[in-house]
Amino acid sequence: MHSTGLNTNQIMRQVIYALILGVSASYVFFGWGIIVQILLGVVSALLVESVIVTMRGRNAFDSLSDGSAVLTAILLAVSIPAIAPWWVVVVGVAFAIIFGKQLYGGLGNNPFNPAMLGYAFLLISYPLQMTTWPVDFLSASQAIDVIFNTVSFDGLSGATRLDEVKTSLSLGSELSTLQIHSTSQAWINAGFLFGGVYLLIRKVIFWQVPVALLSGLIIMALLISAFDSQQHLPVQNHLMLGGTMLAAFFIATDPVSASTTPKGKLVYGFLIGVLIVIIRVYGGYPDGVAFAVLLMNMTVPLIDYYTQPKAFGRS
Amino acid sequence: MAKFIFKGGVHIPNPYPVEKPEIKQVPPPKQAVLLLQQRVGGEAKPCVEIGEHVLTGQIIAQTTGNFPTNVHASISGIISAIEKRPIPHPSGINAMCIVIDSDGKDEWVKIEKCDKEFLNCSAQEIVQKIREAGIVGMGGAGFPTHAKIDNAQGAHTLIINATECEPGIMCDDSLIQEYPREIIRGIEVLMHACGAKKVIVAIEDDKQEAFNSLLMYSFNDRISVEQIPTKYTSGAEKLLIKALLGIEIPSGAYASDHGILCQNVGTVKAIYDAVIDNRPLISRVVTVTGSGVRKPRNYEARLGTSFASVVECSEPNENQHQIRMGGMMMGVDIPNAQYSICKITNCIFVNNEEPKPVVKECIRCSSCVSVCPANLLPQQLYWHAKSENIEKALEYNLMDCIECGCCNYVCPSNIPLSEYFSFAKALDRKLKREEQKTDQSRERFEFREYRLERNKKERAEMMAAKKKALKEKMAKDKDKDQSQKDKIAAAMARVKKTKEDNA
Amino acid sequence: MMESVVIFSILTLVLGLVLGYAALRFKVKGNPLVDQIDAILPQTQCGQCNFPGCRPYAEALAKGEAQINQCPPGGQEGVDALAELLDLEVLELNAEHGETKPDHVVYVDEKLCIGCTLCIQACPVDAFVGSSKVMTTVIARECTGCDLCIPVCPVDCIYVRELKPTLGTYVPDLQGIPHG
Repeated sequence: MHSTGLNTNQIMRQVIYALILGVSASYVFFGWGIIVQILLGVVSALLVESVIVTMRGRNAFDSLSDGSAVLTAILLAVSIPAIAPWWVVVVGVAFAIIFGKQLYGGLGNNPFNPAMLGYAFLLISYPLQMTTWPVDFLSASQAIDVIFNTVSFDGLSGATRLDEVKTSLSLGSELSTLQIHSTSQAWINAGFLFGGVYLLIRKVIFWQVPVALLSGLIIMALLISAFDSQQHLPVQNHLMLGGTMLAAFFIATDPVSASTTPKGKLVYGFLIGVLIVIIRVYGGYPDGVAFAVLLMNMTVPLIDYYTQPKAFGRS
Repeated sequence: MAKFIFKGGVHIPNPYPVEKPEIKQVPPPKQAVLLLQQRVGGEAKPCVEIGEHVLTGQIIAQTTGNFPTNVHASISGIISAIEKRPIPHPSGINAMCIVIDSDGKDEWVKIEKCDKEFLNCSAQEIVQKIREAGIVGMGGAGFPTHAKIDNAQGAHTLIINATECEPGIMCDDSLIQEYPREIIRGIEVLMHACGAKKVIVAIEDDKQEAFNSLLMYSFNDRISVEQIPTKYTSGAEKLLIKALLGIEIPSGAYASDHGILCQNVGTVKAIYDAVIDNRPLISRVVTVTGSGVRKPRNYEARLGTSFASVVECSEPNENQHQIRMGGMMMGVDIPNAQYSICKITNCIFVNNEEPKPVVKECIRCSSCVSVCPANLLPQQLYWHAKSENIEKALEYNLMDCIECGCCNYVCPSNIPLSEYFSFAKALDRKLKREEQKTDQSRERFEFREYRLERNKKERAEMMAAKKKALKEKMAKDKDKDQSQKDKIAAAMARVKKTKEDNA
Repeated sequence: MMESVVIFSILTLVLGLVLGYAALRFKVKGNPLVDQIDAILPQTQCGQCNFPGCRPYAEALAKGEAQINQCPPGGQEGVDALAELLDLEVLELNAEHGETKPDHVVYVDEKLCIGCTLCIQACPVDAFVGSSKVMTTVIARECTGCDLCIPVCPVDCIYVRELKPTLGTYVPDLQGIPHG
């Protein structure tokens, strides 16, 4: 007898559907770039996964049908700049699937979040391509031109708001003089937030990680800005800029690499939120989501060990 | 209402509900195959021979130990075989059975009416009667009832488990509705046997009619009937005790150590039959249900009746069937209906054969953690059981797993988790057995080496002592020899002198 | 330049001392190696490894004077366990020493026994009960299945009985459980 709840394939599909809102928001502001990146990513994911799985002597169709490779590709494609050259997403997805998933034995066996592993690899290897973001709407032809011919459209690319603020602050500007709000980023984050709430309602993800992550982020941001509100972003901007909502509901909630005990999930999420703010403020990169998640992935076995629930009859 | 609602467990609606659970009597079968072994333990020894004619209720296998229980003939007829037959167990192992061919008369052995009111019997006498009647836990566990009551002498609370939490089973529900008076009486007998001062009858809140029948017939103010929220595994003994009394029995301990005795309501009815009517355990109520039968119903059938004949009464459809003995969560899949009803068969599920769901990899989603009623981490147990790392699995409290199957029920990858846990427990038992055996062999070998050494040494000492004694004797003999020679020489000298004197 | 050399040399010295101290102070008192090896061996005491018992074989292994694949009753699992313990390469069970037989005990056909006591003398764990000119029998619980008694019996009255799984000893097959 089995519950009528979602099975593994359906879970992956639901997460993909929930991403639609955020992706649409990105399209509204920045055009077709993100769609092209997603398509590129999905195709390369399917190719790479089928090759590797066949090399491992298993059935490629079974492995692809659970949708986890597609999900990894979409998450990575959504995290990178929409105008990055085509080979960036292809290399990133290949790295994520091979080194982040198949090397460890396939679905369910990887200690690190594959999408974030791919993102970190790309960020370190191709810093220029990974920090050049679109600033305006791109039509389909423009997007394809930029992505495939690496023609640079001056005036159509630049840094993210977080990046600009960080650079300006380090150069000595005052916070009150800077434009810290970004409408596009706020809408995109809102899109992912609503998608995430949908996943919570459908019980695809557990509440512990998103709630803990956002709490950690809010508390740390409040602490830091309490010390020097002139030099540090207020908390609402931390929530609505960068990959905060994507991280909270889609990336940190990846069940395979997250903590498995209920209390452990709270600790895990909270520390990711704290780390995101720390890396953003004191670290060398404008957004700290990828590294925060990867660092906490490393500590999951330790967290799991110390947050075991007390078995019945052993209190 | 219950004080404690345990975390975990699953809500499963009854998949095949019936209007009113009734019990239909199944006529005695033409052949009864009676199992001699109940739980894991020894077998009862047959006390009849092939060809002997037995009467219904006559004892046909006896036991001296505490674990196996007496077996009685459930029909009258001739013993046609005492041999190994297949039993509904996942191992497919055959076990010893006694086969009786019916003579069609169903003649009962002479029943001596008890002339003493049960309240005037001592607790020991009642336990003895229960023992002789061969009663075991009728909820499916099959633990010998007399042993359980013996261990719980001096208990303060008796709990009657009428929860029937496994979805689809309704035999206890119907039993309570049809025999409420007998059940209350049986409870009073049990109370007297264990010395309990208070009785709580626990029943799930979806069985309103059964609850009302019990209330109607219970005039003893030491017996209270309580409703608990309907949730699967609410009927697990330790969880039930915590729900009703707030006491958490520690892992590895028994409820009887804490003065609590828990019995299934079907067992109570069997106790009534045995003590008040002097009838041994020869029949039980079995639920037949599933998508493969048109009329899910309860049947009172003699032990040893084949599954097939009982399932027939529920009008099975023409599809291929998948049969399961026990409930949908904790039952045992069996390949066909050629088995017979034994004391612990509470349900037969007959489902249309469906393709088995595809098993995928574990995605560590922790749904299993959120439903485990014992607060375990089924995921960790799964990883360690799969890699046969039993030591680690024991550290994660493998032994507290009640194998309820809640984790299987919710796993999105359809992994049969509780099968891994049964395997891990069996492997642990095997490793402990082997360790004990090797320690014993090593000891015996080392003792043998020591013994042979000791024998050699003793022999050497004995030889040395003998040699010494022989040497001394020889030396003594030598002296004797010399004195002998001297005497001869002296005598000869005397003879010579005499001769010379005479010449 | 000199400074970094000096600093690193001092660091190495200090850390080396700390590690050395820790190695002595926190040394885990484990079993001597021979006991650990003996714990893995099946204690059948059959001598198929060419040593007069399991303990002599364990001692030889500890000294490195024997191969890990000489024990048929331990089976391939035993060889694997020894390889892991001694950090050696896993070898295949050496068929020259015999083949792994299924779990079994021996029993005596008492009608044929002549009371010669040769089996009693041969058994390494004293699993026989008997005496000269008196019928002999096997204590099944103590028998390790080493089969040393079978060739010495002059009337060939000792037979093998395989141990079949019972309800109490049954272990489900791990590979039989459906997996992804």
